Amino acid sequence: MPTYAYILVSLALFFVGTAGVLLRRNVLIVLMSVELQFAAGTLALLTFSRALGDQKGHVFAFFVMALAAAEAAVGLAIVVSVFRTRRTASLDEVNALKG
Amino acid sequence: MTPAAHLTTLAEAIAFAILSAGVLAGGLLTITRRNPVSAVMSLVLTFGALAGLFATLSAHFLAVLQVLVYAGAIMVLFVFVVMMVNREESTPIARQGLVTRAAGVLAAGYLFYRVAWLVSHERSMPLLAATATPPVKDFGTVSSVGALLFSDFLFPFEAISLLLLVAVIGGVMLTRHVREDRSSRGS
Repeated sequence: MPTYAYILVSLALFFVGTAGVLLRRNVLIVLMSVELQFAAGTLALLTFSRALGDQKGHVFAFFVMALAAAEAAVGLAIVVSVFRTRRTASLDEVNALKG
Repeated sequence: MTPAAHLTTLAEAIAFAILSAGVLAGGLLTITRRNPVSAVMSLVLTFGALAGLFATLSAHFLAVLQVLVYAGAIMVLFVFVVMMVNREESTPIARQGLVTRAAGVLAAGYLFYRVAWLVSHERSMPLLAATATPPVKDFGTVSSVGALLFSDFLFPFEAISLLLLVAVIGGVMLTRHVREDRSSRGS
């Protein structure tokens, strides 16, 4: 398949992730949407890597994957510790920083 | 085009259609499910289909990693946290401030629509029209990606391993339960 088809899929996936981040208020679903955005970025990297015949895109996709794993670990740890103190997983109720 | 080559192209197109439909359907299910467990399972579908797409891009190493890291490790992490934090929502989409959020989604949608329009408008340019795997030896295999990783990208690789170590320690520190009686006993 041509490169642009993969890029369109990647764009659509990134938009789905953005919509999830903006619309949902369960912090777990928001974190999953961020993972969707990471995955869309990885897909674009691999697509252009193939189009250019350069494997550096694969290395960067590897780094994105490690970054996403680190983000998920720290993000979920924060979710757990917020849940312990506030008994909620809703972003609308965690608003202590609100001015 | 020979009949065999034509058949290969057709099979590729069908595989691409099924896999990308799986990716997008899984993504949409993830952000619309009310129950977080269903959302996690939809996310597994998304990442499985995405691994298939990586394989069609001849990124074999990354396809396997995608299954191991995402569909395996990260999903287990999510399922465990869902188990601890599970509160089913009465309304999955927030009512309060819905107008602002909808405006944000519309703005983002317009941005992505414009980029998608640009990509499909310029689809005949050489970079975007490339179809085949480039004639590079061992493209996307463990050995060639690993050789690149441990030669040109050795410093970033070590930096990312340090980042993972920091993330592990941070995760442990954030979730550690400090009991009052033990901290008052002190040293």
